[in-house]
Formats: sequence, C-alpha cells, structure tokens
Amino acid sequence: MGQGARKAQPNGIEVEGLVREFKNGPRAVDGIDLTVEPGEIYGFLGPNGAGKSTTVHMLTTLLPPTAGSARVAGLDVATQGAEVRKMIGAALQEAALDPNLTGREHMKLQTALHGLPKAQRARRGDELIERVGLSDAADRRVGGYSGGMKRRLDLALALVHGPRVLFLDEPTTGLDPQSRASLWAEVTRLSVEDGVTVFLTTQYLEEADQLANRVGIIDAGRIAAEGTPAALKAEIGRPSVEVLPVDPARRPEAEEILLRFGTAVPASGEALSVRLNDGIEVLAAIVRSFDSAGIELASLGLNEPTLDDVFLAKTGRHLEGAGEADSGEMPLPEAEPAGAA
Amino acid sequence: MNDSGQNMYFSAARAVAWRYLHNLYSKPAVFIPGLVFPLFFLAAFAGGLSAVGDTPRFDYYDFTAFQFGFILIQASSLAGVFVGFSIAADFEQGMGRRLMLATSRRSAILLGYAAGAALRLIVVWVIITGVSLLAGMEVRGNGYDLAGMYMLGLLSNVVALLFSAGIAFRFRSLQAGPLMQMPVFIALFLAPVYVPQDLLTGWIEPVARVNPVTALLNGARSLMAGEPTGILLAYGVAAGMIALLGIWALRGLRKAEMAG
Ligand SMILES: Nc1ncnc2c1ncn2[C@@H]1O[C@H](COP(=O)(O)OP(=O)(O)O)[C@@H](O)[C@H]1O
Ligand SMILES: [Mg+2]
Repeated sequence: MGQGARKAQPNGIEVEGLVREFKNGPRAVDGIDLTVEPGEIYGFLGPNGAGKSTTVHMLTTLLPPTAGSARVAGLDVATQGAEVRKMIGAALQEAALDPNLTGREHMKLQTALHGLPKAQRARRGDELIERVGLSDAADRRVGGYSGGMKRRLDLALALVHGPRVLFLDEPTTGLDPQSRASLWAEVTRLSVEDGVTVFLTTQYLEEADQLANRVGIIDAGRIAAEGTPAALKAEIGRPSVEVLPVDPARRPEAEEILLRFGTAVPASGEALSVRLNDGIEVLAAIVRSFDSAGIELASLGLNEPTLDDVFLAKTGRHLEGAGEADSGEMPLPEAEPAGAA
Repeated sequence: MNDSGQNMYFSAARAVAWRYLHNLYSKPAVFIPGLVFPLFFLAAFAGGLSAVGDTPRFDYYDFTAFQFGFILIQASSLAGVFVGFSIAADFEQGMGRRLMLATSRRSAILLGYAAGAALRLIVVWVIITGVSLLAGMEVRGNGYDLAGMYMLGLLSNVVALLFSAGIAFRFRSLQAGPLMQMPVFIALFLAPVYVPQDLLTGWIEPVARVNPVTALLNGARSLMAGEPTGILLAYGVAAGMIALLGIWALRGLRKAEMAG
C-alpha cells in the first residue's frame, strides 16, 4: 500500500518488538511484531495465558509496554495515549459494567465520557442498543443480564464514538452459538461496510479461521505464525485423503496404493487415510490408481488441514487442551436466566 | 487543550459525577456510615458532655455551636474518604478500566469524583445543620460568615478526598479502606474536639497546635460565632494541603495507569 492510501485511511496497527514484563511475573509478551492493515479483521489466536490480553491492554493504552513500540491509527500508544483513546473502542475480556446501571444508563455514561454532543447522545445510545438486540432489556439493571447480553452491551458501548479501530478480547468466549453468529455478523459488517479495523483475540480455531482476514498465532508471549488462514494451512499442513473400499477384503491393496501418496494417519471407522506428501493436485492420480487396480470406492474424501495442525507444527502442541482449563472446542450454549429477552 | 478538547474533558468529568450520584441516590443507605459518627457526636454532646460548656473557662458562647464546628469538618472529611472507597471499588470491579479507556484526559476522572462528592456534601450539610438546629444550636455568624464556614467544610472534603483517592489509585482495592479512613480519623481527633485549644493540656496540646485540622476547626468555630479569627491561616492551610495532596492523587492516577 502506498503512502497516500495509508494517509487517507490511517487506521491500521503496527507493532514492533513489543514486550511486557510483569513485576515478579512472567514475560507475558515477549517481543512481538505484527501489522494489521486498515479495515482488516485480525485474529489473535492462542491458548489461555499466551499473552493475548496483555497485548490488547498495551495496544489500548491501559498498560505501558516494557519495551518496543506500537502505533494504532498512526499514533504511538506510549506517548500519544489520549489521542489513541479517541480513535479506538474496546470490549475487554471481563466486560466492565456497573450492575446498578441499566443498559440505557450505560449508554448515557459512555456517550458522555466520550464527549458526544448532548443532542446526539440518546439517539446514538438507542440506535446501538437496537443494533445489538437489547431494546427490550435496555431499562433493566445490568446486574440481571446474562453473560451474552453483557457482551453485546459491552460491544455496543465500545462503538458509541464511532471508533476506527476496535479491540475485542475473546468476545465469544462463553457465548451460545446464536449469539456468536450474530456477533460474527456484526464484526464483519463493521469491517466491510464501515472500514473499521478489528483486532480480535480468540482461543477458538473456527473463529480465527472463519472470521479473520489474517491470523497471528501467539504462544507463550511470542508470535508462532502469521498469515491468512488459507496461507497458514497451505504452508504447514498438507491435506489428507480418506477412502473406504466397497469390498472390505481389498483394504490391504487400497492401503498399499494410498501409501504411495502419503503417510498413514488415523481414519474414521473402516476407512483408510493418509496425509498427502504433496498438495491436492495428486487427487486425480489417486483416483486413477484405484481405477486401474479395479478397486471400487464407497467414499473418497479430502480433509483440509486445520489451524490446529498449524499450531501443532509451530509449537509442537495442540491448541486444543493447551490452555489450563479451556479447550479449543466451542462451548455448549449457556443458559439465559429466566425472563431474559 | 482546544475548545472541543475542553468540552470533552468536562463532559467526561460530568459523566463520572453523574454516575457517582446516581448510584448514591439509588442506594440512600450509602449515606448512613458517613452520618453515623457526626450525628453520634452531636447526640453525645447535646447530652451529658454539654456540662463541659458550663465550666468557667469555656469561653465559647454555645456548646452545641462549638461542637457543630467539629461535626461539620468531620462529616465533610468523611464524605471525602468515602469517595476513595468508591474509586477503589471501581478499580476492583473493572469499571476503572472503562473510565480509563473512555476518557482521553484521565484527570477528568478525579475531577468528576470530586464534583460528585461536593454535591453529595450538600445533603450531608443539610442533615447535620438541621439536626443541630433542632438540638437548639444558636447561630451568631452572618451570611458571609456562614458561607465562609461551609467553604472550610468543602475544603476539608477536598483534602480528605485527594488523600484517599491517592491511596485508592495506588491499591485499587477496597482492602485499602482502613488506610484511607484511619489517618483522617486520627487527624480529626488530634485536634481540639471537646474543648477550645487554650484548655488543652498534656501531650495533645503540642500535637493539636501543629495539626492542620486545628486551624480548620478554629476557623469554622470563629465564623459560626460571627467573630472571624485565624481565617487566613485556615484557608492557607487548606490550600497548602490541597496542593500537596493534589500531587499525591494525580501521581496515584499515574501509578494506576502504569499498572493497567
Ligand atoms: N497483572 C499481571 N501481573 C502478573 N502477571 C500477569 C498479569 N497479567 C497477566 N499476567 C500473566 O501474563 C501471562 C499472559 O496473560 P494474558 O495476557 O492474560 O494471557 P491470555 O489473554 O492470552 O490468556 C499469564 O501467564 C498471566 O498469568
Ligand atoms: Mg485473556
């Protein structure tokens, strides 16, 4: 991107050698470099304790870096904090809400904190409450909101001043599938329609894969890999092919053919599977080999690598189960309290 | 700061003050702890202790009015300490981060709390003044004297507020509550609470002489009596403490910023 284009829409993020060391604590962030292009959704993927939140706190001016530099929307987070805060919105991992205030009162507080003109405050608040689907609950105290409602309110609050860069720290952890889907849709809309840059942390592979334009994988305070989900998977993980012969007696022959193209990996049920030595272009050759050997196949499937394969390749561990408590699996839907709407 | 920056600054401060008052008035019980001590003193003095006022060397015109000076400074200071509690609670419960993120100039947060505290103080004053008048307090000062007296109350409020805010920003936990409250209590009681300064004897006499609270107390009592004395000293002491503790509180805010 040229200088001119950058000036016209200067809401990217540039991070160089960023470090945060806690007193009597770990080097939570241990020298990370990353660039987020304006209007992009950047997925910061890593297990519990990897340093995601610490990075978000530094980028949002809540925590000064120990070393290195970071520019958000062209402004230095260490020396231009006040200006940075005007440009950004953030929904932190633990939604900071006052249980005594209603949703609408939170909006009133937030619009005033950001100095919106008085005449616009109520309209802006109502509009955002509507957008996150909290109109019916707007006049109830937040103390009685479900986890999902609190997250949605927190997102709405982060948007009151029309930020150009949005930070979302694990926005879907603990959300039911429906709330997650609507949050994904809203994040995508913000990026595509409004050109908002989104920096989103997650422990979920699927979220990084489906939502993010680009992904940074963080582990123990360091970036293990960075790129588009497709490029990351193409770089490390090779696809696997799974076949199921119609005649079980011909399994050994089928296995012999498959092993010419890759190495055996566990398969489901009676099927056979290999991780390919090359890319998916060998698929045609595999089909031809079975054809000429006269082995009829009940099914043939191609499995793309996942970001977990990428994580495994880069760190030697699976992302799933790497965290202390949470797994990379999507959680079960949480129960909304009775009467919540 | 340009005009729009200034508007943003005061808008943020007003927002903080609004929330402080909103939460206060939606839970009026919050007022009780700040009033228990002052009203307890008033009751105690109006009863048995008022005999002190009959001793020949007690030269103030009215014992209840004499005590009101102390009650005013005490209630105003305690109201300031309770702001420290609110700040600590906000940081403990996460709202501190929202305020830190949403305000571009963060000293607006402190200003907002202080403004909220000043408005809260009016309610406190109405209650303690009303009760004292019902208890038969005689007021001799004129309107200007009384305005000056309440102003000393406001200044003690700001002093205590800055002191406790400095602690709240540093500890960011309600566990630091005693650290905010105890020093203020001790300073209040190391002043001529029950008898005029001249009648103090023993170790408390030199302590009270250098205690800044003594200057505030004497000033307030003289204004109540309509015979202002030591007013310049009282205001000077208050201004000095506000300057020092203002730095203490703002440095605390920086510490809170560094800690995330
Ligand atoms: N205030 C703090 N003091 C000391 N250690 C901390 C603090 N905050 C986070 N850490 C540590 O830093 C590491 C990274 O934490 P965090 O950034 O919260 O990870 P994540 O958000 O990826 O789960 C963890 O080991 C955590 O215990
Ligand atoms: Mg985290």
